[in-house]
Amino acid sequence: MLSNSSPVPKLYISVIDDVIESMREVFLDEGVEERVLEELRQLWESKVMQSKAVEGFMKDTLNPSNFVLQLPTNYAQTLRKPTASIVIPAGQNLHNFTAKANSSSTLATFSLPPGVSYPVQIPAGVTLQTSSGHLYKVNVPVMVTQAPGSHRVLSQPIQHVLEQREPVAHQETTTNSTVLQTIAPPVNDLYNHPPAPTGPVIQPTEPQPVACQQLGQGQCTSTELPAVQPPVVQKLLHSQLPPESPSDSPFTLEGIDFSPQPLDMSPTSSFVGQLTGLQEKAGQMQVLGSEFGGREEEDMNNAEMGTLPKVTENTGAVNLEHSEDSVKAALMKAVSYNDLLDIVQLDGVCDSSSEEEQAAGGPEDDFLGMINAEALRALQEGDGSSDGGSSNSNNSDVEDVMPEEEEDPLNSGDDVSEQDIPDLFETDNVVVCQYDKIHRSKNRWKFYLKDGVMCFGGKDYVFSKAVGEAEW
Amino acid sequence: MSAAEGPLRHMCDGLFLRCVSVSTPSVSWYESVRPRKTPSPMEPNNDVALDIIITNVVAVFRTRCHLNLRTIAREGSNVIYKPEVGKVLMKLRKPRITASIWSSGKIICTGATSEEEAKLGARRLARCLQKLGFKVKFTDYKVVNVLAVCTMPFQIQLIEFTKNNRPIASYEPELHPAASYRIKNLKATVQIFSTGSITVTGPNVQFVATAVEQIYPLLFECKMAAR
Repeated sequence: MLSNSSPVPKLYISVIDDVIESMREVFLDEGVEERVLEELRQLWESKVMQSKAVEGFMKDTLNPSNFVLQLPTNYAQTLRKPTASIVIPAGQNLHNFTAKANSSSTLATFSLPPGVSYPVQIPAGVTLQTSSGHLYKVNVPVMVTQAPGSHRVLSQPIQHVLEQREPVAHQETTTNSTVLQTIAPPVNDLYNHPPAPTGPVIQPTEPQPVACQQLGQGQCTSTELPAVQPPVVQKLLHSQLPPESPSDSPFTLEGIDFSPQPLDMSPTSSFVGQLTGLQEKAGQMQVLGSEFGGREEEDMNNAEMGTLPKVTENTGAVNLEHSEDSVKAALMKAVSYNDLLDIVQLDGVCDSSSEEEQAAGGPEDDFLGMINAEALRALQEGDGSSDGGSSNSNNSDVEDVMPEEEEDPLNSGDDVSEQDIPDLFETDNVVVCQYDKIHRSKNRWKFYLKDGVMCFGGKDYVFSKAVGEAEW
Repeated sequence: MSAAEGPLRHMCDGLFLRCVSVSTPSVSWYESVRPRKTPSPMEPNNDVALDIIITNVVAVFRTRCHLNLRTIAREGSNVIYKPEVGKVLMKLRKPRITASIWSSGKIICTGATSEEEAKLGARRLARCLQKLGFKVKFTDYKVVNVLAVCTMPFQIQLIEFTKNNRPIASYEPELHPAASYRIKNLKATVQIFSTGSITVTGPNVQFVATAVEQIYPLLFECKMAAR
């Protein structure tokens, strides 16, 4: 379901905000453009996200619409949860929806709490409305995550879409309905179908189809590939939905590489045929293909046309929202995500210099106390072996030729050999915190720590109190 | 760990002494210091062998250079920084020793169970400091204290013992349950408990062994009952 809101991304965002704000004046004094500051901020945020040290790192809620649709691995189990209340963190449009839990009717409205941290799992049959007001009909439980740096990429296609959306916007009249109604269609069986063709999937690991459908008032522009949702009742609450016109408002799904799985909700195999066609086409799509959107559209519309009359079976009615301007809403950034993985990061997390040293270094002197994990010390011990030098030993060689026993028989350090256990184990786990009390008895240690940040297993955590025990 | 034992040392009246270091697996100090004496096969079977177990050896040495404690605390491994006192403790695993390092370059090394171990540990420590970048020399190495325990096979009448050894022995049961006996020429102190256990502290292992030798007959006189 919804991911637990973790304090880490919020903390990091607040830190970033603080720093950027406090630097603003300095930058201006120095005569540096503000643009540079913004760039710094973007770089910073993208680096944090790239490092994947933080889950669901969400940019400040200015860009809530940049989310990636992913499919959960076992969505079948999480199919029906219409009782959750979720409010999509739309910028200006914060809509509160009443949740109607109907076991039978499966009609429910969702409201994501403001500032929900991604990723968010949206159960099936949800119609999402993003800040821009776009409605997306989710036919398959999806996971919405924040696309890293997505907004930048968006710019172009957004324009593209914007233009096309313009005429649509005019048509919008009444349906400012902020109510999202959802349909949780009985799509159980659908999900069990494995992806027939081995088309590229949204996420390489998730062979589930993404059914996200944007419904427009004027046009049923659906971006849903596996639009075999007969239950997709495209019926406006307030106004009838005219049959879709082949849309001029493409729904930009940037970087969408999902392979539409035939959701055979309806027995119609024709849809399947259409979908397979869609799949193949989707398979050829580029990551940033705005053309993708275009092509999508047509197919979508075709599918739509088919589905419209099939409004039949399903339970609820879907409220279609008029499509508004920007299509930033649903970006399938799966592939771009993967691209980011391929980018080798040479600093930050993957810095070549040892983290422990830095963590133990200067800035921490300001803390009351700085505790390193014991493993770090063991690691340092091993690292330390590379420092210092035989140069010292050479000096001592020359010096005490005669009075060996009196002076300095450290002459080589060869004899004195190093520790036999230099690297107990490689680890980059770091804890940076303050201490309340550190206690030791023989070789048993007890730690009472507070106010800390730690990087453990590549992920970042924060704590206000931590207690630990260890044996040395 | 197996106890390393030296050869039996014939003392007197069928008493043999053996210094044991609990953790050293190799040849014990005794063999390295004295020539080995094989016990004669003619010994009566009621001879007693005493094991002197060395529990602590304290050694000091100087590095002859100033040491930056903060640097050691930051970059050293297995270190505890005590700024209030002005020293850094560095613990070693292999000879399990703890060293107190002062900025003057004086280092006190404790926790070893034999003299060899103490020296080895001290050198390893100096090597560690060298690797941290300090120009250390290993000078003025000296074992300053050895603590050993020994158990007599009999219990001891402390009051009688004190009476017999009036000026040298002192016994204050209200303060401490052991009688203490100072051997001036050895500079050793023996603490005698009524159970028959004694602890000996002296400047080195040899003196400690000698102290046990010396005190055994005195204790034997005041024994309470055989175990």
